[in-house]
Amino acid sequence: MSTTNIVTRQLERISERAVLVLLENMIWPILAVISLLILVTVPRVFTNAATLELMLFAAVPLGLIVLAESICLLSGHFDLSVGAIAGFSAVFTAMVLAEWNLVSNPVLGVLIVLAVGCTIGATNGIMIAKLGMNPFLQTLAFFIIFGGGKLALTTQPISGLPDGYVAPGDSALVAIGILLASFACMVALFRYTAFGQAVYAVGSDEDAARAVGIRTDRTIIAVYTLSGFFCAIAGWMLTGYTGLVSPDIADDMVFPAFAAAIVGGISLLGGRGKLLGALGGVLLLSLIETALNVSGVDPTLIEVVNGIVLLIAILLYNTKESVRERVLSAGVRR
Amino acid sequence: MNSETTDIADDAPASGKTEPKIAVDDVRKVFGRIVALEDVNLTVRENEIFAVVGDNGAGKSTLMNVLCGIHGPTTGSLRLDGRPVAFESPDEARARGIETVYQDLALMDDLDVATNIFMGNFPERRIGPVSLIDWEETYRRAERIIETHLERTIDPRAEVAFHSGGERQLVAIARALAFDPDVVILDEPTSALSVDATELVQDTVRTLQRNGKTIVIVSHSLDEIFGLADRVGVLYQGRMAAIMDADDVSKAELSSLMVSGERP
Repeated sequence: MSTTNIVTRQLERISERAVLVLLENMIWPILAVISLLILVTVPRVFTNAATLELMLFAAVPLGLIVLAESICLLSGHFDLSVGAIAGFSAVFTAMVLAEWNLVSNPVLGVLIVLAVGCTIGATNGIMIAKLGMNPFLQTLAFFIIFGGGKLALTTQPISGLPDGYVAPGDSALVAIGILLASFACMVALFRYTAFGQAVYAVGSDEDAARAVGIRTDRTIIAVYTLSGFFCAIAGWMLTGYTGLVSPDIADDMVFPAFAAAIVGGISLLGGRGKLLGALGGVLLLSLIETALNVSGVDPTLIEVVNGIVLLIAILLYNTKESVRERVLSAGVRR
Repeated sequence: MNSETTDIADDAPASGKTEPKIAVDDVRKVFGRIVALEDVNLTVRENEIFAVVGDNGAGKSTLMNVLCGIHGPTTGSLRLDGRPVAFESPDEARARGIETVYQDLALMDDLDVATNIFMGNFPERRIGPVSLIDWEETYRRAERIIETHLERTIDPRAEVAFHSGGERQLVAIARALAFDPDVVILDEPTSALSVDATELVQDTVRTLQRNGKTIVIVSHSLDEIFGLADRVGVLYQGRMAAIMDADDVSKAELSSLMVSGERP
C-alpha cells in the first residue's frame, strides 16, 4: 500500500470516528440549539434567575429517575418500574413516619426509603438474572404491583412528615446538589471502576462478557439495585419538593425518563452511551417544559409535547443508529 | 485406536533435555452415555504450533475444553512442563499460563480495543483506599501488546465494531496475550475470514511463535493448518487417529484420517 493510500485511509478513519463521536454526543449541540431558540422566543427562562433555579429544582426527581433508567439501559436491560419504585418507596416511608408512627427519626426515614428502593430493585435484578425473567415483563409486573401498592397503602395524601426528612428535598440548593453529586459519582463509577466497565460489557454482549470472566448475574443484580437506590432518592426528593406524599407520586415519570436517556445518547440496546449525556437529556426536557410553562401554554398540552419529544428522541435514535451502522460498515469494508 | 497411524515416536519431546510443554495422558471424557474422548494421548512441544484437526463431532472442542480448564477429564491426566496439573476452571488454566481464544472471539463490539483486551484485568492505580482504572496505562499497554507481540498497528482507542474480521481476531489474541501466557489455544482462528484476513491471522500466529509462545490450533479446516502447523494431531470419533509432522502429510492423507480414521 502506498504512503498516499495509507494517509488517505488514516484520514478516512479519523473522519469516521469523528462522526461516531458526534453521534454519541449529539445531545449537546441539540441542547445548544434549543437553548438558543428559547433564548430568542422566551428570554425570561434565562434572564430570570429564579425561573432557572426552579427549573433545575423541579428537574431533580426526574433527573434521578433518568439516572436509574440509564444505568439499566447501559447494561442492556431496562426498567419500566422506575416511577413505581420511586412512588412506592416514598409512600411506604411516609406511612411508617406519619401514619403508622413506627419511626420519627428522619435519618431512619431516609434509610428506610433507600432500603425499600434497593430491595425492590434487587428483586427485579434477581428475577431477571437468576430466574431468567424477561426484563420487560418483570419490570412491567413490578410497575403494576408497586403502582397499585401505593394506592393499597393510602388513597389520601400523607402530610405531617418530620422536618428533617422533608428538608433536603425542600431546598433547591441541596436537592440540585444531590442530583449533581449522584451523576458525578455514577459517571466516575462507570468510567473508572471494573464494575462500571463490566456493566458496559454486559450491555454490549452478555455472552462475551460471561466468557471473559465477568459474573454477569451479579452485575445485573447490582445494576437493578443501584437503579432502585436512585429511584428511592427520587421518591425522597419528590416528597420534599411537594411537602407531602400523594398516592399518585412519581406516576407518569417512566416515559420522560426513557426520552431523556435516549435523547441523551444512551443506547436502547445497551453498551453505549454516557451518563453525562443523560443529564443533558434531563436538562433538555426541563428546559422545554419550563419554556412552555413560562409562555403560558395550557398545562394539559405539556403532556402532548412530552410525547412529541419522546417521538423525536426515538426518530433521532433510529437515524443515529443507521448512520452509525453505515459508518462502521464503510470502515470495516476498507 | 489405529495404532499403525499413531506416531508415538514423533510425539516425544524434541530433545532429551526438556519435558513437553503440554502432555495429555490417556484422557477419556464422558458426557452421560456419550464418550467424547477415548484414550487420547498427545504432547505439545515448547514453542511449536500444534494443530488438532478432525471432522465435526470428532472431539476437538472437548479436547480444547479439557486443555483450557472448562472440563476436567473423566479419567487420565494432563502435565504442564512435566508436572501433573488439574484445571477446575479456565481461571486456573490461565494462572498456569494457558490462554484460549474462542471461535466466537467473545468481543464486546461497542467497547474499544483496549477495553476489550483488559476487560476484567485493567491496570489500576490506587487513590487512597480506592482502586481506579488507569486508562493511560491501559491504552499504553494495549498498544505495546499489539505492536510488540503481534507486530501490527491497531488503534487501541477505536471501537471493536470498527474493525474487520481479521483485526477482530487479532484483538482477541491480544486479549489472551494480556495475561502473558506461555501457551495460546486458538479455536478455529480463521473460520469465516476472507483470504486477506486469513493471511493476516496466520502471519500473526507465526509472530507469536517467533515471540516464544507455544500454540495449539483447533480446526476442521485443512487449509488453515497447512503452512502454519509444525505438527498435526487428527481426532476421529474421540480418538487420536494420528500425530504427524505437517511436512510429512498430504491433504489427501489428512482428509482420509479425518473422515475414516485411516490413511488412504
